[in-house]
Amino acid sequence: MSSVPAAADGTLGAPHAPEFEVVPREGGIAAVRFVAMASPCELLLDTTDVGAAHEAGRLAAQEAWRIEAKFSRYRPESIVSVINRSHGNAVVVDAETAALLDYAGQCHALSEGRFDITSGVLRRCWRFDQSDRLPDAAAVAALLPLIGFEKLRWKAPRITLPTGMEIDFGGIGKEYAVDRVLGLVTARFAAAALVNFGGDLAANRAPGAGPWQVGVERPDTEREARLLLALTRGGLATSGDTHRFLLRDGVRYGHILDVRTGWPVPQAPRSVTVAAGSSVEAGMLATFAMLRGSDAESFLEEHGVRYWCLR
Amino acid sequence: MQLKRPASPLHLGLMAASCALLSGTARAQTTEDVGQPVQIDADLLYYKENGGRVQAIEPLVSLKKDFGDQRLLDGTFTLDSLSGATPNGAIPAHKVQTFASPSSTSLTPKPGYKTTLYTIAPGDLPQDPHFKEQRVAGDLDWSQPIGLDNTLSCGAHASTEHDFDSVAAHAGVSHDFNEKNTTLSVGVNEEYDRIHAHGGNPVPGSDYALYEKEPSQTKTVSGGLIGLTQVMRRNWLTELNYTLDHSQGYLTDPYRILSVLDPVGTVTGYRYENRPDTRTRQSLYWVNKVALGPTVLDVSYRRGKDSWDIGSDTVDARLRINLGSGMYVEPHARWYHQTAADFYNLYLGESGPAPAYMSADPRLAAFSATTFGVKFGITTGRNGELTLRLEQYQQKPSDQSSTLPELQGLDLNPDLKATIVQLSWHFEY
Repeated sequence: MSSVPAAADGTLGAPHAPEFEVVPREGGIAAVRFVAMASPCELLLDTTDVGAAHEAGRLAAQEAWRIEAKFSRYRPESIVSVINRSHGNAVVVDAETAALLDYAGQCHALSEGRFDITSGVLRRCWRFDQSDRLPDAAAVAALLPLIGFEKLRWKAPRITLPTGMEIDFGGIGKEYAVDRVLGLVTARFAAAALVNFGGDLAANRAPGAGPWQVGVERPDTEREARLLLALTRGGLATSGDTHRFLLRDGVRYGHILDVRTGWPVPQAPRSVTVAAGSSVEAGMLATFAMLRGSDAESFLEEHGVRYWCLR
Repeated sequence: MQLKRPASPLHLGLMAASCALLSGTARAQTTEDVGQPVQIDADLLYYKENGGRVQAIEPLVSLKKDFGDQRLLDGTFTLDSLSGATPNGAIPAHKVQTFASPSSTSLTPKPGYKTTLYTIAPGDLPQDPHFKEQRVAGDLDWSQPIGLDNTLSCGAHASTEHDFDSVAAHAGVSHDFNEKNTTLSVGVNEEYDRIHAHGGNPVPGSDYALYEKEPSQTKTVSGGLIGLTQVMRRNWLTELNYTLDHSQGYLTDPYRILSVLDPVGTVTGYRYENRPDTRTRQSLYWVNKVALGPTVLDVSYRRGKDSWDIGSDTVDARLRINLGSGMYVEPHARWYHQTAADFYNLYLGESGPAPAYMSADPRLAAFSATTFGVKFGITTGRNGELTLRLEQYQQKPSDQSSTLPELQGLDLNPDLKATIVQLSWHFEY
């Protein structure tokens, strides 16, 4: 029922018009649509009550915009920007930010340092615009001292980020918003619900007519690979973006970067879709798999994950 | 590709972490349990001047407690212990000179009075060898946000020595605007001091031989500051501060004297110094902090000017180089120059009446000074940092000799060299 491109995960985007629309669909489903985090966002509710759908839509959109405003690295007033501008001074954060930082730290440890919220500084060198313009190796190497979760001091509620380093919640933020919105809607409304933010989604249960039919679009230059999945409850997330790469001398450089080298993970899949208990969990498993490069599939199998991999 | 394999420890760990993230109750508990950290800074400073002059040992303990929402209480306790010889202001001579330590109540031994004398060999700089001082100081500061963009800070200071007590208070407000890229700060401070020199305060400008003392004296200092901090670029911060303060009262150093010389340069006596009872100081301070990758450059310039005609320039640069593994090294260079106070003199002439104001304090002379040093830092554990600072200070007065025949071959205002070693430990728990 939903068919949106699997966008670059967790890209928290620029400001947008704060509005949403409610569109009744066949089969007694109400769809709420809005834009947040530079992605098309959708909430599907198994209800014919347009008033309730409006209320749920407002709740969903406001929560998504709240999370975007609070955690987007593009928003100067966000806590992430405050931390990134702290010039080595300690910043005291609230409980929600603390929970996200704890989660980022746990993911850093679980991935043996491969997943790192301080890796965003590499964007200064890398632009995945499908050209053959690889960055200068020295410029990449010069950024490595600014990367490493272990270099920041974090003990709730206080974070001290060394000058020059940056953090961002790419890879967590959008998935977190999906799960939060689903939780709020589930708590307030009786209807079965599916939340889909740019291809990262979560559902609470199946509608009366049977499981949610989810189309995950995975655009590709050579072949159209569209996944049609049945989802009852839990999260589904996709990592990878087939449009973001560099091509030089026949070698494809994907946009998933290895924080240890500053260079793209060699032989990473073009996209990995994972089903798990929640959107955050699915998204992180997909990211972990991408970071394993050629071992992505064996990693996912080893850890008992439901996945769909595109190479 | 559906799998039946059970979840691995990694997958289970991620499930648990994801559940914790999405569970609001777990989150609330976390912050309650953890509480707010306390920062402890312990510091030991050792300062030693060349030629048996002053040495100081200064332990300092600072406790910073965060009450959440950026409300911060900061308490500092300092203990200073100074000893060694300190120049009394008189110049070297070709004959032996005799002085009384300030705690003496008479220049010559007589019943009911205390006299401690010291003699200075020909050619040596007259210094009181009995200098010994201990200082206990405490500071308490509070800061908290007011609304979203303002921060209020206030604090109090008290210190006591055998001959000097001081209390002070300050308050300030800073306002963030331009998306917190700009901060405007204003502050005021007020200080009240009581000076009760060993053996009594000498009458300013009086003849040393008369040994006239008077009761304790006071002075007040009132000041204000206005500052602007601007984030220029993501890796460049600049700050401009203007400070103005006004001192009033007893500004004379009760232990400083001047040599009185006849026209050929022979010492005929000494006089206590006397400074004006007001002093207004202004300073403009500009600092830039620039992050060049992992290296941070900190460059500042200060221009000072006061109503005693002392003008000063300070250029200070530090480069913090991260060495990885939580270690860094920070070379430091500083250059300072000042012009002399308008009443400064190496010595007084005998002819004519004594000037209204006079001092031979080398700190009021024209001089240049350089500091070169290096600091090493290493993180200890997750929340600690240990630093060691080593610095060499050298002060060179502009005016070190005289044309008077009796003063030939004498270094009237010798260079000062000092070594500074500081060990600091920072810890959060």
